[in-house]
Amino acid sequence: MSLDVNPRRALSLPFVIAWLILLVFTGVSLFTAFLGMGVWAPVAEFGIAALQAAIVFILFMRLKGPPSLRWVFAFSGFFWLLFLFGLSATDYATRRGWPPSYIPTRPGITTLEDGR
Amino acid sequence: MTVTTVDRDALPNPMDEPSFLTSENTIASWLFTRDHKRIALLFFASITFFFFVGGLAATLMRLNLATPKGLLQPAVYNRMFTMHGIIMVWFFLIPSIPATFGNFFVPLMIGARDLAFPRVNLASWYVFNLSGLMVLYALIMGGADTGWTFYTPLSTIYANGYVLAAALAVFVNGFSSIMTSLNFVVTIHRLRAPGMTWMRLPLFVWGIYAVSVVMLLATPVLTMDTFLLGFSRFTGIGLFDPRHGGDPLLWQHMFWFYSHPAVYIMILPGMGVVSEIIPCFARRPIFGYTGMTMALMSIAILSFFVWAHHMFVAGISIYSGVVFSLMTFFVAVPSAIKVFNWTVSLHKGKITFDAPMLYALGFVLLFTLGGLSGLMLATLAIDVDVHGTYFVVAHFHYIMVGATVSAFFGALHYWWPKMTGRMYPEMWARFAAILTYVGFNLTFFPQFILGYLGMPRRSYTYPEVWQTWNVLSSAGASILAVAYTLPLVYLGWSLFWGKKAPINPWRATGLEWIAASPPPKHNFPRTPIVTQAPYRYDPEADTFVSQEGTPYAE
Amino acid sequence: MPNSAALVPEVQYATIEQQGEVAQLGMWVFLVNETLFFGALIFTYFVYRTTYPHAFAVAGKDAVLWCGTLNSAILLTSSLTMVLAINAGAQDARRAMVVWILATIGLGCAFLGVKGLEYYLDFQDQVVPVVDYFAKPGEGQAGELFWVFYWIATSLHAIHLMTGIGLLVYMLWRIRRGEITSAYYAPLEVVGIFWSFVDTVWIFLYPCIYLVGRS
Repeated sequence: MSLDVNPRRALSLPFVIAWLILLVFTGVSLFTAFLGMGVWAPVAEFGIAALQAAIVFILFMRLKGPPSLRWVFAFSGFFWLLFLFGLSATDYATRRGWPPSYIPTRPGITTLEDGR
Repeated sequence: MTVTTVDRDALPNPMDEPSFLTSENTIASWLFTRDHKRIALLFFASITFFFFVGGLAATLMRLNLATPKGLLQPAVYNRMFTMHGIIMVWFFLIPSIPATFGNFFVPLMIGARDLAFPRVNLASWYVFNLSGLMVLYALIMGGADTGWTFYTPLSTIYANGYVLAAALAVFVNGFSSIMTSLNFVVTIHRLRAPGMTWMRLPLFVWGIYAVSVVMLLATPVLTMDTFLLGFSRFTGIGLFDPRHGGDPLLWQHMFWFYSHPAVYIMILPGMGVVSEIIPCFARRPIFGYTGMTMALMSIAILSFFVWAHHMFVAGISIYSGVVFSLMTFFVAVPSAIKVFNWTVSLHKGKITFDAPMLYALGFVLLFTLGGLSGLMLATLAIDVDVHGTYFVVAHFHYIMVGATVSAFFGALHYWWPKMTGRMYPEMWARFAAILTYVGFNLTFFPQFILGYLGMPRRSYTYPEVWQTWNVLSSAGASILAVAYTLPLVYLGWSLFWGKKAPINPWRATGLEWIAASPPPKHNFPRTPIVTQAPYRYDPEADTFVSQEGTPYAE
Repeated sequence: MPNSAALVPEVQYATIEQQGEVAQLGMWVFLVNETLFFGALIFTYFVYRTTYPHAFAVAGKDAVLWCGTLNSAILLTSSLTMVLAINAGAQDARRAMVVWILATIGLGCAFLGVKGLEYYLDFQDQVVPVVDYFAKPGEGQAGELFWVFYWIATSLHAIHLMTGIGLLVYMLWRIRRGEITSAYYAPLEVVGIFWSFVDTVWIFLYPCIYLVGRS
């Protein structure tokens, strides 16, 4: 066995491992979908997606090294979305008449039992 | 292999180097330039053109409203106010100060030779013009009548007219904003001269930084919203149609998530400009520099939390209304802090009333009035009565026209000697400034009264009992038209026959004033080294210290 | 043969390293914009999914799961090949760099191929709103909203992916001209960041589209 390890192979190893982890996570996410978790299923699935995104950002997009300013830009978009989701939720969660109890039917569309 | 670094300090003496205006004279050298100063002038040309197109729409509207019988067909009036709004918001106000003075002066003020991405800068101008062609197409073909706010399902299903073309124009325009703001954010972070720390940045640069952050975070949501609008209209998919389970308010939530920060996009650079002018013409440092920077950033951030105050009577829940009303009161606080600081910055100063100072002082008062009326609108109980009336129209025109356009003209006069190397005729400029102020108040103060009395906006006619106020408003508009056209005349005159400007006619401290008037292509012969905080004016001794450390006596 | 003229930084930069670093920063700033763009679309999706959970669950069953999962694997692998290309560039292994870039392009095209097949299957399933839509029993009116989101989100994503492929082809052209070397490979890193972001968008679209109503 040669003593000098190929520097490129050494550099690539963490990425290959991360890739395998990402594939596994995709499988786990797929598996959770079939578990019948109800309301918690999207929580688990999007949580796993967020973890995968974090791995891609920090490792593949090399957030890990300097300059640390990039972290601000990388995550500020996601952080800002929280305000869009959250403040809109003050309306959607408390609006009377939402969700609508009745949507007029069109021919050819079978409705649910409660008339939706 | 060796990496070559160009010796930055080996550029020729500015006195030898030709100015950026004359260094190359072909059309191609202008249309394919990478020089931020030339791109700024290209933007000047574009936005001035659109200012007059939007102004023409406003003229027709005010002519129509001088009498209840009116001048235009109702459908045509509807298209007038729609196109006035679209053009003034996206094609004049939003790019106005950032794309012109921001482009020209941010590199100069931070001691850089250009922005971080000059080609992106040029692309921004081309994309802007492309969107401009699209909006002109929509206008010439007959316009849209949905109002600049494009509410669904009127815009997606029922409106006749060129809604798709107008929405597409706005969609494309967003990319121009995004490119400009991206450039500024990266430039200000990374291209500052040695010694130019964040807390030594002029407040104009802080203002541009704040506005760029807002543009970056807000514009993409509008991009998606207009895309969904156009897509819905074109395909009939009913994404916002209640008959398909859609929610019209969802479109409005995303629209105002952008458009409320957009109004702060329109005011923040103006605040930056005024923060440059007032210290210079009061000959004393700005009061509370740190507070001013924090106020700018707070306004930028808080502006994202208030959007549904435009939707109080649209059908959102009352609890949501309370939350947004509270947030709107919060966002007024940093704005008020700024007004206090500008006012206190006049105390014990040696004030001269040059044209830029007249515009800046006008800004402060008109912004205050507009802001106070905004607080009234933030109050749910009042808004229920005055939403959709001329009260709202007066409020936002006080800010967008009274404040922002005044700041734009203030900046134009302040930096004219630096950009063109010429002085403008001072008396004409002061006259235009005062005429603007008079014309503006005559136009828009009656509209507060009309709104309070109940006159709805976006209506081609009104009950005869309100005619007096409307006539006053239209008369004021004619004065305003003259006041806005005058600078075109005398500034144009000064380009050929104006006195040649010295390097620092206002005796100001910023780095832009150590470059030649007008600056050479690469701004500085040597990258300046900054040793001073900004605005080191001394009113009593009448001296000042430039930011790179040189003290000047009278 | 490295082109040393390409190593002179632009006039506003002091060194070529600064230029490279600022270019990457610029791409990150652009990604803020893209995050909010796709985020606004996913916001729309979430509003309607939380409003009509049953309709979305029924409608979502028709999404072709194997296509979506295969595409996820393809894209994740392409992010790996992209990073390997950048590593090779950093080490001046020009041939390896080109091979990995070609692999990334190939995987991107494979993604588009699978997507195209999936679109064909969707047409056969009659889940194209307005054009040819047949609501499945129990879906009601709101199921169509799921499919509107599907078509818009996947086409916008595909457009971004095609842009990424175009940028990679441009990178190959620049490598051929000798402009990408271990001394300056920032353009490749910038494209890599964009590519991995397109991958990230898909990471979030996958549970939105394919994991609704599976249980």
